Amino acid sequence: MTQAFLSIRNVEKYFSVVKAVDDVSLDIKENEFFALLGASGSGKTTLLRMLAGFESLSGGDILIEGKSIAGLAPNQRPVNLMFQSYALFPHMTVAQNIAYGLEMEKLPKAEITERVNAILDVIQLSHLAKRKPDQLSGGQRQRVALARALVKRPKVLLLDEPLGALDKKLRSEMQLELKRLQHEFGITFIMVTHDQEEALVMADRIAIMKDGALLQVGSPKDIYEKPESRYAADFIGVMNFLHVKRSGEGFATSDGTPIATAHVSDGVGEGGAIAAVRPERLFLGDAGDNHFDGTVSDIAYHGLDLLLHVKTELSDAPVIARMTADVADNHRPEIGQRITLSWLARDTHIFPA
Amino acid sequence: MTDRNTFRLMLLILGLVFAFLYIPISVLVGLSFNEGGLPTAWTGFSVKWYGLLLEDADILKAAGNTLIVAIFSTILATILGTLLAVGVEIRRRNGKWLETIIFAPMIIPDIVLAIALLSMFSLLNIKMGLHTITVSHVVFNLAFVCAVVRARLKSFDWSIVEASADLGASTVTTLYRVVIPVLMPAIVAGGLLAFTLSVDEFIIAFFTAGAGRSSITLPMQIFAMIRFGVTPEINALATIVISVSVVALALSQRLNKGGLPGQ
Repeated sequence: MTQAFLSIRNVEKYFSVVKAVDDVSLDIKENEFFALLGASGSGKTTLLRMLAGFESLSGGDILIEGKSIAGLAPNQRPVNLMFQSYALFPHMTVAQNIAYGLEMEKLPKAEITERVNAILDVIQLSHLAKRKPDQLSGGQRQRVALARALVKRPKVLLLDEPLGALDKKLRSEMQLELKRLQHEFGITFIMVTHDQEEALVMADRIAIMKDGALLQVGSPKDIYEKPESRYAADFIGVMNFLHVKRSGEGFATSDGTPIATAHVSDGVGEGGAIAAVRPERLFLGDAGDNHFDGTVSDIAYHGLDLLLHVKTELSDAPVIARMTADVADNHRPEIGQRITLSWLARDTHIFPA
Repeated sequence: MTDRNTFRLMLLILGLVFAFLYIPISVLVGLSFNEGGLPTAWTGFSVKWYGLLLEDADILKAAGNTLIVAIFSTILATILGTLLAVGVEIRRRNGKWLETIIFAPMIIPDIVLAIALLSMFSLLNIKMGLHTITVSHVVFNLAFVCAVVRARLKSFDWSIVEASADLGASTVTTLYRVVIPVLMPAIVAGGLLAFTLSVDEFIIAFFTAGAGRSSITLPMQIFAMIRFGVTPEINALATIVISVSVVALALSQRLNKGGLPGQ
């Protein structure tokens, strides 16, 4: 087996008796854009801070290119962190902020100036080099924080909710910008985020964390299309959950209608189970492998598409079905109308209830 | 009552409060420029009392002593008070107790502190003089500097300390390149406050100056002179002391509010 670039091995973290990180093992490849995704309190930030060196390990080891970094102080690690608050030095100019890390390496003055200017060019802030952080916009500050960490050319760049403080429009711009920079610099990025959309768009691979442990690791496509647990299915994107039960070899709804499925997750026993299907996989009519009837309770217009909220016995919450605008134009259902929705067996996932 | 009248009443009260506070000081400042020198009659504007001050060797000596005490006690109190404030903020455990102990010298009556210091110096058989006044002033000034710096630390973003470490700086480098520069306005403000407090401190200086005239400070000199009545010279001297204090205090306020230098 080839050696992993960054190897997290059985890492644990206790805060007194609370287990914040629970036996996490992960191999991250060189030049990978990796996202740690989870709700607050899932342990993702603690794990990131352990990589940066701000939290000690209660157990396990962290290796970069085969060498343990677990015992190294933050200032000795070939790793840099971009802080959620950016943590720019308020008394220094943009250029001084970026130069700080290079000065710590005791590089010659000429080289520092050259590298600072080069990265200012990349982030397109050369004209603001002499400004103080409080004279910058949120987006500019974010880019300075990124440049300050990148200019050190770390083996791994850690990003703590990098886009959390930006408004929505800027966020989607920066998602692509970050991906571009990661390509350009060829540095491994590990990002912590609670925003599943951000993880899907940016990361090469995603690890979903819950209660300090890894729930599922995979590409965005795998995570979205083949969730291995009900939690993962619910956390990523929108998912409809329908009550089903065992019926012979297969599954059926409470009134006996069989439910065809291609994905049954581990731990589904006799008795109750949950069938999951994405809103965009539902369509009008009874042409699919599975179908049910329901009453339209709400229609949410989103421009590109419509979200139908459909009340049915099978689900506690209304089922959400996504219709593209052109479909909706032809057969737009009315609120209160009785409709039939269907979907395919390959889009159906069964989880333990 | 209408809102307008309420507002007028409030203005009146405000005016009375300020009058109560500042009329005595205005009288003193005014009299220091009175040519005749008698508090009973205004005979014309003059700065002759200021001139006389400059010829008085005792007063010049006392002023020199006061400056020495104020400068050294301010430097010491500022360094120690800042380190104390940062230290307490980092180790928050037992914070409440520690805070009470640190700020006690601000609350304990000066006379008690003065007697305590005198007893200690006597017990340790330390010959008293300017050095003992300086040390004694550090005792209470340290608390004031610490209080000012701590107030600033409440809004201090500690992630910049972690960022500094992350970028490769040692703890000491982080202290002098990040923590101290960011805290500098508060440190200077605390230092100016300490300087002001030291310049006009009387009781503690009086108790810890030792025997003889060699280590008399300005407030002690004024106290000695006043026994023979309030002379116009004293008014002039007091006016100078007030001016120095006001300037230092105003600077301190301005620095602490204005945020970071260069902004």
